[in-house]
Amino acid sequence: MFLWIAVALLLIIMGAYYTGRGRAVSSVSGNYTALHSLPSYHGYYVALWAGLPAFILSIIWFFVAPQVLEGIVLSQAPESVTSLPPERLQVFMADVAAIAQGGIPSQVTPEREAAAEIYGSYLSVSNWLMFAVAISLAVAGLTYGRARIRPRLRARNSVESMVNLVLIICSTIAILTTVGIVFSLLFEALRFFARVPFTDFLFGLQWSPQTAIRADQVGGSGEFGAVPIFAGTFLITLIAMFVAVPIGLMSAIYLSDYASNSVRSVVKPILEILAGVPTVVYGFFAALTVAPTLRAWGGSIGLDVASESALAAGLVMGVMIIPFVSSLSDDVINAVPQSLRDASAGLGATNSETIRQVILPAALPGIVGAILLAVSRAIGETMIVVMAAGLAANLTANPLEAVTTVTVQIVTLLVGDQEFDSAKTLAAFALGLTLFAVTLVLNVIALRIVQRYREKYD
Amino acid sequence: MRFKTVAIAALATLAASATVAQARDQIRIVGSSTVFPFSTTVAEQFGKTTSFKTPIVESTGSGGGMKLFCAGVGTAHPDITNASRRMKSSEFDKCHEAGVTDITEVKIGFDGIVMANAKDAPSFALTKRIIFLALAKDVPDPNGGENLVPNPYTKWSEIDPSLPNVEIEVLGPPPTSGTRDAFQEIALEGGAKTFDWIKAMKKADKAAYKKVARTVREDGPYIEAGENDNLIVQKLAENGDRLGIFGFSFLEENRDKVKGNPVDGVDPTFEAIAAGDYGVSRSLFFYVKNAHRGVIPGIEEFVAEFTKESTWGPDGYLVDKGLIPLPDAERSEGAQSANAFVNLPGV
Amino acid sequence: MTDTSILSKTDYHTSEQAERLLKKRYRSEARFIFYGRLAIICALLILVTLLSSIFLQGYTSFYQHMAILEFDLKQELVDPQNTGDPEVIAKADYRTIVNNMLREKFPDVTVRRDRKALKDIISSGSDLFVRSAVMADLSLVGTRATIAVPLSDDADSVFKGFIDRTLPEDERRVKDNQLGWLDQLSEEGRIESRFNMTFFQVGDSREPELAGIWGAVVGSALTLVVTLLISFPLGVATAIYLEEFAPKNRWTDLIEVNINNLAAVPSIVFGLLGLAVFLNFFGLPRSAPLVGGLVLALMTLPTIIIASRASLKAVPPSIREGGLGVGASHVQTVFHHVLPLAMPGMMTGTIIGMAQALGETAPLLMIGMVAFIVDVPTGITSPATVLPVQIFIWADSPERAFVAKTGGAIMVLLSFLVIMNLIAVMLRRRFERRW
Repeated sequence: MFLWIAVALLLIIMGAYYTGRGRAVSSVSGNYTALHSLPSYHGYYVALWAGLPAFILSIIWFFVAPQVLEGIVLSQAPESVTSLPPERLQVFMADVAAIAQGGIPSQVTPEREAAAEIYGSYLSVSNWLMFAVAISLAVAGLTYGRARIRPRLRARNSVESMVNLVLIICSTIAILTTVGIVFSLLFEALRFFARVPFTDFLFGLQWSPQTAIRADQVGGSGEFGAVPIFAGTFLITLIAMFVAVPIGLMSAIYLSDYASNSVRSVVKPILEILAGVPTVVYGFFAALTVAPTLRAWGGSIGLDVASESALAAGLVMGVMIIPFVSSLSDDVINAVPQSLRDASAGLGATNSETIRQVILPAALPGIVGAILLAVSRAIGETMIVVMAAGLAANLTANPLEAVTTVTVQIVTLLVGDQEFDSAKTLAAFALGLTLFAVTLVLNVIALRIVQRYREKYD
Repeated sequence: MRFKTVAIAALATLAASATVAQARDQIRIVGSSTVFPFSTTVAEQFGKTTSFKTPIVESTGSGGGMKLFCAGVGTAHPDITNASRRMKSSEFDKCHEAGVTDITEVKIGFDGIVMANAKDAPSFALTKRIIFLALAKDVPDPNGGENLVPNPYTKWSEIDPSLPNVEIEVLGPPPTSGTRDAFQEIALEGGAKTFDWIKAMKKADKAAYKKVARTVREDGPYIEAGENDNLIVQKLAENGDRLGIFGFSFLEENRDKVKGNPVDGVDPTFEAIAAGDYGVSRSLFFYVKNAHRGVIPGIEEFVAEFTKESTWGPDGYLVDKGLIPLPDAERSEGAQSANAFVNLPGV
Repeated sequence: MTDTSILSKTDYHTSEQAERLLKKRYRSEARFIFYGRLAIICALLILVTLLSSIFLQGYTSFYQHMAILEFDLKQELVDPQNTGDPEVIAKADYRTIVNNMLREKFPDVTVRRDRKALKDIISSGSDLFVRSAVMADLSLVGTRATIAVPLSDDADSVFKGFIDRTLPEDERRVKDNQLGWLDQLSEEGRIESRFNMTFFQVGDSREPELAGIWGAVVGSALTLVVTLLISFPLGVATAIYLEEFAPKNRWTDLIEVNINNLAAVPSIVFGLLGLAVFLNFFGLPRSAPLVGGLVLALMTLPTIIIASRASLKAVPPSIREGGLGVGASHVQTVFHHVLPLAMPGMMTGTIIGMAQALGETAPLLMIGMVAFIVDVPTGITSPATVLPVQIFIWADSPERAFVAKTGGAIMVLLSFLVIMNLIAVMLRRRFERRW
């Protein structure tokens, strides 16, 4: 049904475009210069009038109709149904819809069948009504829009304000995603904090999520202090940055200012492969190649290196994010105008002096942005640490010891046996929310820095 | 004309999405990662030998599977869930609340939990008592007396002089794992019971008893190693001093790298686990949503395929995949009640 | 740089001090270049190490050993009524034909246990190979035909050299009697190593020798198409708005912080979001590339937005002023002049984002894409899995032969990545310019 509405609407919109365009041209009898806007804008103008109202109506109908239908069915249902508790009522309605549409009901009772009959009849009425209303609205819009076309019509301005609106809507998707994430984390996190005091979680130095998740199971102590796992996350991120920033930045500089075009066009995409290697693969590489090697080296010089050392995970994670730093900084460095380079060279500076004293300062805000993106990736990276870092929370700054990270804990808590009324599973949501808050603060700071020092060149 | 291209692209997209919302014609299975290899093998065999589509099997963990399974009736919800433990009463209640009232339980076999180490490393003659002493959080005072002290042991030889003089390092599953639950319940508690005075606690204070008997130490020797058993095998092969806890089927496939250590004098072999001699094993199940029978094609035939002798019997193809079959009597009885789709009255 | 005022004007450029300074500057220049080269060499070395370890692990999955055996396709077994109807022939009992062949080939194997061991040396899917050979050439019915069937994964690994014959029998996956039969076949020249076509033609299987990557490849492609269709327009539109149109106020600051923050959200949280919004709220099907694509689109959106903004920023203001100067409207300037110039940079960002989406596993865990799916998906709503998930599943399988399959799958995944990057390079080369 929706498909047919969509196809019909699209055809009408296409018609509207050509109508509008044609009418605009004929209104000035082919003399384009007499029009305020180009003919195609008149076409878009009429198309918008035809499509937009009908589209909005369909969306609203799509969400409201089921509610209305449910209300109608319930208003005609016997007392025995309306007095059901909410969750039973939900099952009832699901069954009614299933019977009416040929799905699988959990049971078939006379009440359900009666309700399903009502549901089914109103459903088809609703669908046909929607079809009729949407199409007539589109046709009406087309007629109206067409009638408004005249040479002085500011069609371009109207279309452009719509474009602006669409852009605004697109940019709010990011906000909506955030809202969605916060809401999918918030409720469970609040339930967690009802069990574990907020301050214990935030400042506790012990992490051991071993509470029993069912009556016949006994866990360990059940400590939920998040400090060690956040410390672990930052330790690994720091190590990763020590690898990624020098290598990434230096290769970006070399590629943009020294390398010949042919070298650059070969090396840059090769480096980008590093970003695309699946993180599962990095995880195996870290756990099976890097960690044992480090352990052996450490052993040979008398150092005790844990098999799940932060160093192994951090090094490999650093490798993964090299391209994030290099590719993005490369673009930013490239964006510094050639005139600045030429000017610097004209003053007698060597290439490296130009880079260090002219280009880097000019590109700094962009580079900081690239590095922050990389830091964000490192903090949010999951599979490498799941495989190579430990699970036991350990409050230490020694990179040779095993630490755990927030993402590891979230995955472990969510992928295993879950129970949504135990602090153990809920802790994952609390961790996610806290991580979200921490990165938010970091980003606010970063934004301030970038805004302050950003320069525009030409 | 740019407008034309956009419009045509939109039409094409619509046409492509026209396939949306067809009725589901294949079985959907969710649940335990331990049962996953068996379930998928049967699914593939079923898809090959019948005219039905191959069922889709998801590995979600026992708890996650139950949650999906009990969410409701209808094509949006799975038909079968696998579990490496029985359904809990809370899950049963949730199922009933959501209208999933007709469920059939099928027990399919056993899975042994082994304590393995590198093949060329010394063998550990373990007992449940040693496992308890090595891995429990609080253990009886080594100086004698009926009081508990935080686990003082750091080397195996401190527990029993006949064991190798190496540090206790055991790679095991995290607390969210079903394997861990089973290990705590069978191995640790089994060891705790060998102390009469701890066993006596059970009658006096059940909660305290369980806490003592099943709590794993958190001071380092027990290393939580994630759910990827292949990774544990690799890590064991690299470091000979460590022991690892995982399922029997991984031991079977990696006999050239790791070996299973005997527990209470019994080696973890196929025969020993099947006969019930090897002490650390658990049962595996799947649950069928009977409301979907006759609506989703093939559910009855799938259950029939799973419970065939040539599938789950001692010579069946699941044995090749590492399943330890049920005893003969239990198997034939199970097949009967499974194919009759007997409703689970409660748990 | 340093204080040179003590020098007189004439020897300003020639004095010893100036020469020293110049040398020092050149040295530092050389050092700088060396650091740059070192960085690139480091990165390349790591890549080579990584790739070679993958290659060593995975190359064996691209060939497999087949047993070339003679099957007796008796008329009464395949087509008793002599109908010649392909449908009848397709339904024949090829399993019995395979068993008969083994009995005939090794007549002295009679004990039940040994017979089972014998059966285990060829693939349990052999009957399917016999069937497809017959279906391809119906004239074979009633004759004795020579057909190649794959060896089982264990037998295959004997010929690939993964089974150490010196080990005691009970530590080996392949027993002494099986080795004997395999050697006999090998001496008769009946074992042949072939390119593993199956690997590229079929979906997943529990038997390593029958498992293929094609289902996951198609699933990945479908998912990426959805991701691209959603995230590219959305990301570019957002970037254009924020960079070109948005007033600088608290609201746009908020959006900006948000976008950067989304890049740091652990990917599994996007899975939770997808579960809550797309599956539970909108009721979209589980395990579908549509949902996977939507989730991955939300996940890659920040990467694309940030990169797109950077490349919009890089377009010099003079272009905009020029556009406005000749009378174009603001929207026209942006869409006709700025956007085309910023496109190569946006493509780069998009490709990085797509690469990241192509390799992502964790969010798909929550929306049911970590699943055993044999059938190759046919549309964006049919159940599917993707390449990294297939790698994840194989890496977690007990059968040893899946280790090589994992490596093989990674190589396939990486080659897709290389292809994507090549496209990016071509785009960049055509459009890149320096101001």
